[in-house]
Amino acid sequence: MIELRNAGKTYRQGSREVRALRDVSFIINKGEFLSIMGPSGSGKSTLLNLMGGLDQPTSGEVFIDGRPLHNITDNELTLIRRRRVGYIFQFFNLLPLLTAEENVGLPLLLDGLPFSEVKPRAAALLDKVGLRERAEHRPEQLSGGEMQRVAIARALITGPAVILADEPTGNLDSHTSEEIFLLLKSFNDQGQTIVMVTHDPKAAAYGTRIITLKDGAPDQDIVIGGDNP
Amino acid sequence: MSIKYAMLGILAERDLHGYELKSSFDEKVGDFWSLNYGQIYSTLDRLEKDGLVTHDREAQEKRPDRKIFRITPDGRQELTQWLATPVTRIRALRDEFFIKLVFMVKSDPAPVLALIDKQKTLYLKQMNRLTQRKLALKKGAGGNEALTSELLIDAGLFHAEADIRWLTLCEAKIKAAINQEK
Ligand SMILES: Nc1ncnc2c1ncn2[C@@H]1O[C@H](COP(=O)(O)OP(=O)(O)OP(=O)(O)O)[C@@H](O)[C@H]1O
Ligand SMILES: [Mg+2]
Repeated sequence: MIELRNAGKTYRQGSREVRALRDVSFIINKGEFLSIMGPSGSGKSTLLNLMGGLDQPTSGEVFIDGRPLHNITDNELTLIRRRRVGYIFQFFNLLPLLTAEENVGLPLLLDGLPFSEVKPRAAALLDKVGLRERAEHRPEQLSGGEMQRVAIARALITGPAVILADEPTGNLDSHTSEEIFLLLKSFNDQGQTIVMVTHDPKAAAYGTRIITLKDGAPDQDIVIGGDNP
Repeated sequence: MSIKYAMLGILAERDLHGYELKSSFDEKVGDFWSLNYGQIYSTLDRLEKDGLVTHDREAQEKRPDRKIFRITPDGRQELTQWLATPVTRIRALRDEFFIKLVFMVKSDPAPVLALIDKQKTLYLKQMNRLTQRKLALKKGAGGNEALTSELLIDAGLFHAEADIRWLTLCEAKIKAAINQEK
């Protein structure tokens, strides 16, 4: 599904080097809900960006669906990013001038599909995240929890191989956060692979697997799930 | 102690045999609080002496009579009063882990850090189990009972979270202290 082989990332600033990730290797299987935890600066966001092709490793390799993210053209990489990966960010990253429905449909519109074809699919997803009545609202007319639901619908619209979420509830209260996790979990129950970076142990507990990072490398890899203690 | 009030609360819903009382207790709060039959019967004894509970005898074939416990009007009044009173005793910070920390931290930090890691993993697994239970509850029929169970599970999750956050802070501070010494 997603595979990292000795993936590393070193940032260079003048003569200084920051090793954000060192030699990370693991496989995320289809249907997994992986939570990534670790202290600030341990490389969580860097790791997520490598998995989604938002950033290139400085060493090692990353594969999505068995396809490498290296030695491919920028154009091919853009298509993988747009079609095979759904992103959810802490600050929602919705376009302020578009309605909820247009934001949800954006990945398909960018892919050249006509709006007439995108609209019903966006509407169906907004319905699934409980926002049917908000389709015509712009982000500024939505609450934080609602904006994040729009972002989830947008992440799902291409039927991606994986959803990558970086602190998706960092700005939401406990109850709203729980609603977001329940929503993510319900899509995971239908087979959607999810990788979520979080500082919140309550969020991580929704995962079927938890990886903790320490100084740019995986520390613990806890596989859980199932009901038995 | 609140075993007494838990018994009164259960009996306020309906009359029960001793063993039914235990299963009802386990079902409601068993995840957080385990009681044995001895504790149940000694509590019932005390409640009867105080006139808060009474019992009827039910004849059984080939076996001794069974006692069916019932809450008295005094018992109901006592329960109502207790329910309306806020809890003034804040959760005590007394935990086996704290004691371990006291005896470990001075000498060598490595075993402390290893213990913190193990403890965090344990809490995370526990939180995952609680979350699974919550998800199962959400798929069920709902209702007031389910809501109460869910709120108790949430309490368990928040407490475990606080412990994990504190352990994470311990880890960071111990490491910072090591780096300073170097
Ligand atoms: N563009 C960049 N240039 C230079 N250094 C960077 C860059 N991005 C990240 N880093 C460094 O890489 C390390 C890992 O950063 P990363 O953002 O992955 O951490 P994180 O685990 O996501 O932290 P947080 O929990 O605070 O979001 C940090 O030391 C950071 O300063
Ligand atoms: Mg980050």
